[in-house]
Amino acid sequence: MSDSGREAGGHGATRSSGRQVGLALPRKEDIDLLTGRGTYVGDLQLPGMLWAAIYRSPMPHARLRRVDLEKAAGLPGVVLVLSGRELPDYVVPLSPFPFQSRDPFRAGNPTIKFPDHFCLARDKVRFVGEPVAAVVATDKYIAEDAVELVEADFDPLPPVVDPEEALKPGAPLLYNDWGDNLFLRFRVGADGEEAFRQADLVIRERIRSSRFTGTPIEPRGILARYEPTDRLLTIWSSTQIPHILSTLLEDTLRIPGLKVRVIAPRIGGGFGQKWGYYPEESLIPLLAILSGRPVKWIETRSEHMMATIHARDQIHDLEAAVTKDGRILGLRDRIIADAGVAYPVGGLASIVTTSMFVPGAYKIRHYQAEVRAVTTNKAPYGAHRGFGKADACFAIERLVQRVADRLGLDPAEVRFRNFIQPEDFPYISATGSRYDSGNYPAALTKALELAEYEKWRQEQARLREQGRYLGIGIGLMVEPSSSTRMGSYNSGYYSVTLRIDPMGRVFVLTGGNDEGQGHATTISQLVADELGVPFDDILVIEGDTLECPYGSGSYASRFSVVGASAVILAARQMREKVLKIAAVLLGEPEATLTMETSRIFVKDRPEKAVTLVDVAKTAYYAIFRLPEGVEPELLLTYHYRDPNVGFQPDEHGRVPMFSTFPYDANVAVVEVIPDTGQVKILKYVSVHDCGNMINPAIVQGQHVGALVHGLGGAMYEEIIYDETGQLLTGSFKDYFVPTAMEVPNFILDHLVTPNPFTPGGFKGAGETGTVGPPPVLCNAVEDALKPLGIKVQKLPLSPSSIRDAIREALPRAG
Amino acid sequence: MSSLRSIRVRVNGIEREGQVEPRLLLVDFLREHLGLTGTHIGCDTTSCGACTVLMDGRSLKSCTAFAVQADGREITTVEGVAADGQLHPLQEAFREQHALQCGYCTPGMVMSALYLLSRNPNPTESQIRRAIAGNLCRCTGYLNIIAAVKAAALKLNTRRAAI
Repeated sequence: MSDSGREAGGHGATRSSGRQVGLALPRKEDIDLLTGRGTYVGDLQLPGMLWAAIYRSPMPHARLRRVDLEKAAGLPGVVLVLSGRELPDYVVPLSPFPFQSRDPFRAGNPTIKFPDHFCLARDKVRFVGEPVAAVVATDKYIAEDAVELVEADFDPLPPVVDPEEALKPGAPLLYNDWGDNLFLRFRVGADGEEAFRQADLVIRERIRSSRFTGTPIEPRGILARYEPTDRLLTIWSSTQIPHILSTLLEDTLRIPGLKVRVIAPRIGGGFGQKWGYYPEESLIPLLAILSGRPVKWIETRSEHMMATIHARDQIHDLEAAVTKDGRILGLRDRIIADAGVAYPVGGLASIVTTSMFVPGAYKIRHYQAEVRAVTTNKAPYGAHRGFGKADACFAIERLVQRVADRLGLDPAEVRFRNFIQPEDFPYISATGSRYDSGNYPAALTKALELAEYEKWRQEQARLREQGRYLGIGIGLMVEPSSSTRMGSYNSGYYSVTLRIDPMGRVFVLTGGNDEGQGHATTISQLVADELGVPFDDILVIEGDTLECPYGSGSYASRFSVVGASAVILAARQMREKVLKIAAVLLGEPEATLTMETSRIFVKDRPEKAVTLVDVAKTAYYAIFRLPEGVEPELLLTYHYRDPNVGFQPDEHGRVPMFSTFPYDANVAVVEVIPDTGQVKILKYVSVHDCGNMINPAIVQGQHVGALVHGLGGAMYEEIIYDETGQLLTGSFKDYFVPTAMEVPNFILDHLVTPNPFTPGGFKGAGETGTVGPPPVLCNAVEDALKPLGIKVQKLPLSPSSIRDAIREALPRAG
Repeated sequence: MSSLRSIRVRVNGIEREGQVEPRLLLVDFLREHLGLTGTHIGCDTTSCGACTVLMDGRSLKSCTAFAVQADGREITTVEGVAADGQLHPLQEAFREQHALQCGYCTPGMVMSALYLLSRNPNPTESQIRRAIAGNLCRCTGYLNIIAAVKAAALKLNTRRAAI
């Protein structure tokens, strides 16, 4: 792995002056995390605290006849039991996750449905793992014992497992009042008939991905406390969206005057799975209200696998209008997504996102897609690092491979012929997004060089003669970042509050959240530079809805786009105020002053100075000295609006939903061992561009982590339901995430094309790497097996599936 | 429930006593009874390694041992690795190599790596990979962790040579 941009930081080493942004500083977060002082939800204890455990449906689809909690309630230590039919009147169905608001996609959008799901099932269960009853006890072990004593009777209904079968007339229905199983139908783009008329040929391909997900090592968890006098409900939750959760809870638990404070403490990874509104998030607070004591619930891994969102799992039926020399003139896509049970967790938004970005890095002017999200008896479908964009890239990058194969062209060359060119930026895509900047040809050229592409092509030819199967896979993945959805809470702004206390310490409070991204470090770097204060004098506070400005949390790689912009502009405003006050104290014009390391001085006479403490004390204690129009205290909130998104779709559903477009060029060299079906990764190159970097070590760390998420989905991870709707991958014993044994030593490089629409030139980072490995490794394996005429049809690239394909193809190939 | 057993366990150098159910897992004894919440739980199948501690110097997944099995033994948790307010060279190396992000798997990773370095002061890359193969991380992609363990070996060897 290359170490470009890495500075040997040394423990605690920070620079006291000079620019901090762009340095690979070690993180502020790390010392606590390395010494066991992380304080995640599971680590919290409150006086009188009780534990909850949940009885979950063992049936994929059934009428709930009876739930008997008598035995459970009789177990010593059990304080409270609750079933769906006993919910108090003030509990209403889970609010639609506002990402699914009806408004955003009205144009071109004939169908979107919202079912009523309560936090506990009342008359029907719709997936294995659906919460049916809850018990609350004095300790975790007793709560789990009590769950064993819950008795429930079900009348089984036929399960809906296959999304294509689910769409057929006469299929069993999850929601009878819907009349079918169609959760969402959405169309985007205009018909490209003209392109199809001009084409030399039309290539039709079905591209199918598998179901996989993020599995953060910390499962979900909630601790709730209710203070009836103030009607104040405080929730500590492992969530990516604390403010939104507080709003949703106030909407679901309709106790008059209820106020909800959400605190997201240290979070052990999110990856999208903690971006949603789950039944437990209102159930556990309800149990705290009913029992009158704090209640904690920590998800087990088994619960996580069955009840926390799954992702990907789409079928794309693509038609490409192409010329003989490999130019793609037009594209049509018909997408089916297996959306599982219709919970309010944001899956629909991810599916719509897919439909917007199938053209990827290519200048395809005629594009139309229709998406159908199908409800099935599976866990809910939602966000996972690469949110819908990974699915779009999977489709287009696999299609480009097939176009090259059909035309007998080099797959790299087909890409070069179709790329959006550097001079095209800002580029308005066929679905209305404004791509900010980039240089795709340069990135792919660099990746091919680092991979020694020509050498490996020769090696491939030589090994083929010996009957060995070497393959090269290529992809250029554009991964739109920082989303906005009109009329939803994802409304395209980010707020930051900056406070300097009388001793000159700087507090930065944001509407965002941290699940391991290192915001305490990166925000400190930004503020240190913009304000001119020492890195160590800055404290970053996030994830407490009472202290922090409202915000929609962390998702879509939005921090470095809208978050960092808000931080920079808030700091500039604060600096202005500080200099204004200092000008009075020094008796010098404001324009002649500057601040470095909390010292304000006249630029050409540095000895003429005051300290930030002098200024701060004036702002708090000597307000009679403040200049006209300057308010007391050093406190401000900056609201940053994203300038590169739009809010109104046109009549074809086209709208700029994402603000910036980082990308990643990948080249992989693999060898397939025909006897075992094993895929050996000989080389994996990634050339990544996320614009300017705040902290290159953090970017690189997240990028490698993301690549490994993608590697997992490509090679090992698959959520499997059998034909009866039972989950077969209910633990880490059956759901294989990569270990240190499987990860290749990636060859990494960065390009920097600064984002012209953000003050720091940053794009989103952290998700892009997830996108590449599934298509790129499929392309590589397909390339390796070309002599056998094998098309890879299925993820993951497991030895058994590849061995089966080879076994089937060998007689055919002679 | 079943009758309680008395146990005595030396944890991070301090003698601790407990009255525990025989079924109580060691990880819950550490977390719930002793308040040592640095040892984490990430799965229920002995797969993720977030709960790794040392028992009599050997690495152990504490979700898969009963507290009573630790009776009379010596346990080291992540809280016992740094000494005198100074990070252990391995912890320093994790920080310098950016070998952690969300930090949830980190205590288990540190304990597994510590065990490796106690047996093998000069591990090869493949020995490091094998030593942490029972510890899952979803943030880092492992490469920086491998680099950190290598760097820690170097630091420890340099220190030893200096003594």
